[in-house]
Amino acid sequence: MDQKVRERLEENLAEKVSFDNQILAAYDHDIGEMPALVMSMIDNTPEAVVAAGTVDDVRNTLEAARELGTPVTPRGQASSGYGGAITTRGGIILDMTGMNRVISVDRDNLTVDVEPGVVWNELSRELNKVGMDNCIVPTSAPSSTVGGWFAMGGVGLGSLVYGSIRDVVQEIDVVALDGEVATLSGEEMDLHYQTCGVLGIITRLRLTCRAAEEMRPFAVALPDVAAVQAFSMAACEELIPYAILVHSPGYVGMRKEMGEDEEVPKGSFLVVGAIPVGSADEDAIRRVAGANGGEVLSDEIASHSWNDRFYPMRIKKLGPSILVGEFYLPLDNFSSVVEEIQADLQRDLMGIEAFLLKGGQVAVLVYILDDAGSFLYQFRMAKALRPVRVAERGGGSLYTAGLWFASRSREILGGEKYDAVTRRKKSVDPKGLLNPGKIVPPRVKFLPLMDVSTLVDLSSRLGSSLAKLLVFRRSNRERVESQKNGK
Amino acid sequence: MGNEKTGSSGKIDITSELSYSVDTCARCGFCKPVCTTYPFGGGFEAFSPRAKVHYIKQVREGKQKLTPEWVDRLYQCTTCERCVENCQTEIPLVHLWEELRAETVRQGIGPMPMHAKMREAVDANNNPYGEPAEERDGWMQPDHSPTEGAGLLVFGGCTGSYRMTTMLRTGVTILQRMGIPYAYAGPKEMCCGSPIIRTGQLESAGRLIGINLDLFEEMSIKEIVTPCGGCSKTLKFDYPEWAGKLGKKWSGKVKHFSELYVKLLRDGRIKPTRSIERTVTYHDPCHLGRSQRIFDEPREILRAIPGLKLVEMEFSGENARCCGAGGGVKGHYPEMAEQIADKRVLEAVETGADVLVTMCPFCQASFTQSIEKLDVNMELIGVEELLLQSVEG
Repeated sequence: MDQKVRERLEENLAEKVSFDNQILAAYDHDIGEMPALVMSMIDNTPEAVVAAGTVDDVRNTLEAARELGTPVTPRGQASSGYGGAITTRGGIILDMTGMNRVISVDRDNLTVDVEPGVVWNELSRELNKVGMDNCIVPTSAPSSTVGGWFAMGGVGLGSLVYGSIRDVVQEIDVVALDGEVATLSGEEMDLHYQTCGVLGIITRLRLTCRAAEEMRPFAVALPDVAAVQAFSMAACEELIPYAILVHSPGYVGMRKEMGEDEEVPKGSFLVVGAIPVGSADEDAIRRVAGANGGEVLSDEIASHSWNDRFYPMRIKKLGPSILVGEFYLPLDNFSSVVEEIQADLQRDLMGIEAFLLKGGQVAVLVYILDDAGSFLYQFRMAKALRPVRVAERGGGSLYTAGLWFASRSREILGGEKYDAVTRRKKSVDPKGLLNPGKIVPPRVKFLPLMDVSTLVDLSSRLGSSLAKLLVFRRSNRERVESQKNGK
Repeated sequence: MGNEKTGSSGKIDITSELSYSVDTCARCGFCKPVCTTYPFGGGFEAFSPRAKVHYIKQVREGKQKLTPEWVDRLYQCTTCERCVENCQTEIPLVHLWEELRAETVRQGIGPMPMHAKMREAVDANNNPYGEPAEERDGWMQPDHSPTEGAGLLVFGGCTGSYRMTTMLRTGVTILQRMGIPYAYAGPKEMCCGSPIIRTGQLESAGRLIGINLDLFEEMSIKEIVTPCGGCSKTLKFDYPEWAGKLGKKWSGKVKHFSELYVKLLRDGRIKPTRSIERTVTYHDPCHLGRSQRIFDEPREILRAIPGLKLVEMEFSGENARCCGAGGGVKGHYPEMAEQIADKRVLEAVETGADVLVTMCPFCQASFTQSIEKLDVNMELIGVEELLLQSVEG
């Protein structure tokens, strides 16, 4: 790192900045396991990290970055695999997890003001103390941060009723590259949603909350995906659930191998849901399930599955890695798209998890077991996008952009918002210092005419057929280990 | 299979089982917000359990090396297992840290200096406090009369025998009152090896364990009971493995005193009758709770005492916070241990309870200091003391 930048950071931030290579190495990745070849196209290791604890820390970091032309990449818990918190040009990582105070709770208006590094589960616990709760939480709630989720965008548990994270944030404070702090709401705030901090660093969020309610979990086994779709549509109408999750037979099978969901009939889809106790109607659950050929499972499995909602990655123990394809889909097309994906990847160790969303949409995750340590992983990786392409043909869309889908930001954000964001970016950050490589994809280091995101997209399209042929099979060693370690 | 070594890079040497576990890390970070010692790392990710796993992968692949700085971070762990409790893929993280610590000792870059001093004390005196062996039974009361040839051995443990002796003394008094014959090795009892194993100093641990195993055989011991969370964990889980390694016989059962008291209660042999009108909150010792899944037994004992009101801390049971002492942290990072203990004591104060109860002398030692330093209105008592008070009434 440039000596001037280093000195300035040390002067501004003292012990809150580190240049230690071992400390920096912890920031060169996120939850995704990208092959070394892909990572070699960017400068993914930062040259400095600032553990921000206050707004002043953020301003001091931005001041040094602006004056010395050093990129700054904000980071929460990096619990998304889209690369949004990975540096592409080195520079400074701004670790926001230390800004984790619950600033104030408004019980009359059911809102809470928080710093961006607050972890969702910890916020839920604080709110529960005063009879409130988060409207929605991500399935990564035990570790992911409020600011990180807003900056990446997304949906989670409760989105069937309350929509996306965007829908439950009322206003934010943002520190721009020039150090100015602005309080934003509405359309102005929207420019910062799902844009990974390319326009500024979020330092406060006001969230809409709900009154805490005890949930009545339920679990229904359904014979096929058509029945799942029909049940889900009816359940949304008649049961008024807080959340509905769907597990495909492949996913249930993996969980069975882990000693979970043993009661679920073999080959069945599992639908797990939760209804506020006050409005839960046992007869209605049985009626809707029965009308769609479903079997209501025991309260024990319902509670267990619901309590396990934050642990979708348990199955990774069987891999040891997982390829993940993620997309939005109209519920109307859920059955046909899932059938096509299952047929397409029938030779793979594959499972599907889906969440019902407000407005007749579904968020779908396709998990394919693999081993990132194997040579063929880099070729098989293209397989993760096959389900996305099937979904796109069925009216689906990409989940978010981050780094790896930055070349499709216009399509993901919408043309109008994309134009507004890029216009604003040019005026407030002409040198592209704030989280470079997001929204506008980074150039490949040794291939300057090509951007990384397009290259990844093209290679996955070209390599998709080959990837399909390369079926991952667990070795005996891994099977033995997984069984040995299984519950 | 579990003992097969990989060591492909020549940089670290861990079992293939652990190596596979490392590969399953989901990088979800569920281990990070719950980590007891992460807050002492200046807010940098590298101090989190998941970052340590990532680093181990990099070392295994030859991209990084075990350095003194990283080894220092490795030892800043109380082995509380909160990370294990929350891990999506059930990586035996504490087992991994302990294996790595042993590896650092083999490579001459571990343990930390105070851990080495502790080992020297153990090598010289067979206890980490450097106390004379002949004073090991100093906790005994005149009416305590061990029975030679009894199949049940009372294993006092070093902290229980030399420092926080009330739990051990009370436990033996209860056995005495119940007419349960017990054996006791007195000065022949060695440290169980827990603090030495947890800090990776396996050679010394092997010596202690070997002597203890010979002693158990010589005394024809069938069952062991101990008041210490760390000793019971080590005797339960480490001894069978070590017996195999050392080629010694050991098939006895190991119980923490809480398990014995609960059995006596359930069998109707012990009947708490005297009302104790106090409000207590129970601290789950990490090595008793998360390690041995003993969460209900201490609470069952407390609930059996008439008049006693049990209130839970915000973090209890599987989620209980640590006392800060374990894993060698109290030995080499005393200020860190103190701050962790203070946090837990203040959490206990918040419940409104006037008594903090626990069932591990090591935790008791930590809290004694914190309560005194913080000057809070909180009494610290062992669960067995309340039980005995209620029975004797």
